[in-house]
Amino acid sequence: MIRGNWRGRMRRSNYPAEMLAVLAKELRVELRSRVALNAVGLFALAILIAVSYQIGPYTISPAERPFLLSALLWIILFFAASSGLPRVFVKEEDSQTAKTLRLASRPMAVFGGKLLFNLLLLVVMKALIVPLFCLLMGFEIAGVAGLMLLMATGAFSLAAATTLVAAIISRSSGSSTLFVVLTVPLVLPLLVVLIQGTRAAATTPPLTAVLPSLLPALSLGMATLLASAFLFPVVWHD
Amino acid sequence: MTKDVLRKAWPWALAIWMVAVIWGAFFYAPSARGFKGESARIVFFHVPQAWVAVLAFCVNLWASLRYLRNRNPLDDARAAAAARLGLVFCLLATVSGSLFAGIMWNSFWNWDPREVSIVILLLVYAAYFALREAVHDEERRGVLAGAYAVLAFVTMPFLVFVIPRVYWSLHPDTIINTRGVIGMEAGMLQVLLASLVGFTGLFFWLYSLEVRLAGIRLSRQRRREE
Repeated sequence: MIRGNWRGRMRRSNYPAEMLAVLAKELRVELRSRVALNAVGLFALAILIAVSYQIGPYTISPAERPFLLSALLWIILFFAASSGLPRVFVKEEDSQTAKTLRLASRPMAVFGGKLLFNLLLLVVMKALIVPLFCLLMGFEIAGVAGLMLLMATGAFSLAAATTLVAAIISRSSGSSTLFVVLTVPLVLPLLVVLIQGTRAAATTPPLTAVLPSLLPALSLGMATLLASAFLFPVVWHD
Repeated sequence: MTKDVLRKAWPWALAIWMVAVIWGAFFYAPSARGFKGESARIVFFHVPQAWVAVLAFCVNLWASLRYLRNRNPLDDARAAAAARLGLVFCLLATVSGSLFAGIMWNSFWNWDPREVSIVILLLVYAAYFALREAVHDEERRGVLAGAYAVLAFVTMPFLVFVIPRVYWSLHPDTIINTRGVIGMEAGMLQVLLASLVGFTGLFFWLYSLEVRLAGIRLSRQRRREE
């Protein structure tokens, strides 16, 4: 009876529903333990405190501030994110639930759900860290709307580039050091573009100021998303 | 029989070609205007090295895709061989570019967009080997390294074509520039093209040696397992 119902549900379920089910499972597990959130939040906070204590808002001249603070902001965001993003797949191997997940969901739904979870994690982290960074470092932003758009695009592109790498390292040694080693070369062009955009948003109010950075960041995100979606089933079922 | 003769003649023909390229680079090609001393002659070696680094990346992609489709261990060996040679040529291109920068701009490293893009390419190759070292199971190593190679290749057009053209660069104009004009004298262009052919031949010769060696190793391993 139970088996029949399960089969019926599987037949009815479609990709978006399966994806959301994986996302809901990820959120439930995360809210129970809060490991990724704590790791990302505390890591970001610790670096931010160290940086603001050493550099602070007044040691950098106002002319140099947009250049240095834009780069510092993205370095903090990226390294803080890299402490939490790989967990989405590593924890499945650690707790030996990966095989069950392989049986319960199709690869694309798993990839979509995990990608959405990483995206949410990045959005939450940025919502906490970016205002705090601006406050502690005296980073004045002329184009707030442009910066928000850039942060959203950056979160999407970072999640797209790192989710497959998280799956790859979970199938190898599972070490977060390897995650950073593999991710840095992939996201460096993206970070360069995002830093340029943040600098433009800090100095120029109109939204159009960030467009030259927004378009390459978005296209890089889309390209890595498509490649990751194509490759994920191979990595997941190797 | 013919294949054997060709295989034996190929390295000799390549050696003669490369000697001719070196001679042409120093004695046939005219001096370039607007450069310090004879520093521009490094272009006959630097550009082909960078070209081979990108070509090796393409061969690595081709072999990785083949491996992901048919799981033939020789394709994984092909991918690794291409990446290994790509890493060497990438390193040579970085060093030769840095020497040119040292002479022209009195600084060996300037964080020019093209310098950054070649360093990122170098990091991609290094990360590829770090991943290979981290996986012990051979089939899984091939799959994971292949997937990473394909993902890394997606970012390559941004590194090689977008970033150097979007941001201001100290780097001299490309051979065929944005106006679609070849900004090089005929003698220099002839030597550069000959060098490109020579370096491509050198890459494929070294690549074929590596693949043959891997093939022998694999067949020996198979025999031992039987």
